[in-house]
Amino acid sequence: MTKAKVWLVRAILLLWSVQLIWLAWYFAPEVKELAQSVADRRLGEEVRREDPYYRWLQSLAGLIPSGATYIFLDDYEAGKEIIARYHLIPRKHVLLSPNVPPIFLFYKVRQEKAAFVIIRDKERPPGPGLSAALGSPAFQPLDVPGPGLVLQVDYLKVRGEFYD
Amino acid sequence: MIDLAVNLLRLGLGLGAVFFVGHGIQALALPISGEWRKLEQAAMNFGLGTVALTLWMLALTLAGIPFSLQVTLVPPVALSGVILILKKRSEKGMVRRAHPAENRKPKTENLVWDRIFLALLALLLLFATLRATFYPMWAWDEIATWGCKAQVYFMSLSLDLTCIEAHNYYPNLVPFLLTYLYLCLGQVNDHLAKAVFPLWGAMLLVILGFLLRRMGLTRTQTRGTVAFFALNGTVFIVHLHLAYADLALAYFALGGAGLIYLWLQDKAPRGSLAVAAVMFAGMAWCKYEGPPLAGTVLLAAALTLLWLRPPGLGGRLLRLGIPGAGLASGYLPWKVYLIKNQIEAGSDHIMGFYPHQLLPSLGYLVDGLFNPFYFGILWPAAFLALVWAGRRLFNSASLFLALFLGGNLLAVILAYVVAPTGAAEFEMYVRATLDRLLLHLTPVAALAVGEGVKELGEGPGANKSPALFPNPHHNPL
Repeated sequence: MTKAKVWLVRAILLLWSVQLIWLAWYFAPEVKELAQSVADRRLGEEVRREDPYYRWLQSLAGLIPSGATYIFLDDYEAGKEIIARYHLIPRKHVLLSPNVPPIFLFYKVRQEKAAFVIIRDKERPPGPGLSAALGSPAFQPLDVPGPGLVLQVDYLKVRGEFYD
Repeated sequence: MIDLAVNLLRLGLGLGAVFFVGHGIQALALPISGEWRKLEQAAMNFGLGTVALTLWMLALTLAGIPFSLQVTLVPPVALSGVILILKKRSEKGMVRRAHPAENRKPKTENLVWDRIFLALLALLLLFATLRATFYPMWAWDEIATWGCKAQVYFMSLSLDLTCIEAHNYYPNLVPFLLTYLYLCLGQVNDHLAKAVFPLWGAMLLVILGFLLRRMGLTRTQTRGTVAFFALNGTVFIVHLHLAYADLALAYFALGGAGLIYLWLQDKAPRGSLAVAAVMFAGMAWCKYEGPPLAGTVLLAAALTLLWLRPPGLGGRLLRLGIPGAGLASGYLPWKVYLIKNQIEAGSDHIMGFYPHQLLPSLGYLVDGLFNPFYFGILWPAAFLALVWAGRRLFNSASLFLALFLGGNLLAVILAYVVAPTGAAEFEMYVRATLDRLLLHLTPVAALAVGEGVKELGEGPGANKSPALFPNPHHNPL
């Protein structure tokens, strides 16, 4: 092996050693948290229950019948609606934007025979669709403590057979 | 506590059955099993078992039979049992060929380093196993795709795509495997079922180790290279505890490409092409990117043979049909299902041709390869090893590695040029996918690193062309 190659190998080994130290530093917080979970024997469902959003979804699961359809108003990019869908299976999940216009929201409620409309973030100013829903007797707000808003819907009272 | 113990027992038995089914398939593929080490066999058996079990679940779906533990498990296990009994009888009185490694003098070049590398790997796997099994699924694609599907399939006892609209054409090896584990556990327990992923990673490392040993690396070199692969950057480590399909694809790609690479060098144990065929089936059946990836392995192997022109070229090219048949057997059943159910495939990833995405893609690819956050210094080391080979690259089977890796890096750029994304979301799309696309190739890049490491241990008189088809009459089928 030439001298240059020897130095190259040494350089690679040195860089790898640095990489190992960096990996130890990078994963240290995760290892610490994991060690705590192991010490407390906190696993699976117990870890999940620490999340208030999950607890809210659990209360929704108790409310929405398993064969029902619900419309979830949220931005896909927030990554929260996939969590809702995962925990509310087998209920049918329909995602719409929080800024959905009234006509399309009403149409979807009618088409999907939705029993609930769920708004993930109740602090966010209501979009046009939600504002219209709140003013309609077909949508009844329910008192479910949590980060979002839950409306029970009687889709038969919604006029929305046609959408263009 | 008793519940946990019972669940762990059920999980262990479920995973044990996967190995057993794989063992039966391997018994079919291998003429005499003495050439394979037990641990090597076990690592391969796991992949073979997952392919067989999940394709069986797809067959049940096509036949309209609902899933149950009995229907899912008993026929493949019984079939494996019958194969193993028949195999045992047929092998009675036959002399087992010794594994080549058994003929070598045991070398313990550096016991201290051996132990350090093993300890590092053991620590990594311990962390990954605890991390996987203590925390539930919450990463994006776990709950949006793979874990979500598994939960729905378990609840409806069938391939029910009502919860998925965008990615319902994705192959189902991983969701079916999770569904099978839920059937074993009798419930959706997404943290315990995740134990399968660190196991998958461990099996990948074992396969990598045996491939390196068969390539001619010493024990210390092998363990060092495996540790160098596993502990470089964050992507592999994170995927050890994620319920994604990318680690599975990396496993099958390494198994398939690695065995083909050994076969090109006449270093593969007998039955390798048949085992590689099942690995190719696994590639096609675990991810949408699998069939093109498997295709590039075959293409790189064929081009290498055509370039090197070894004796019996035609026969060798024809024998590549064996893994080709494996690819078809993993691809076609799902394709039949998609056609039967009029499910369109791939339009969210492949649409048109967007040349303005070419240069940015190249920039992101370079970042993915050289930014130590992703794969540490593994890719630079792999490139150096290929450059180090110099002219030997063009007159040895190492050409296969260069063609496979180079071809796939070009394919990654092409994939981004045909991806239908808006200008605003292009960066996000690349960042969400590039590390995973590279993960599929990285274990094979570790083989290139292994070639470089082997050079370090070779003295001036060592054979510098170990991959020149030393025995053209040897048929490693």
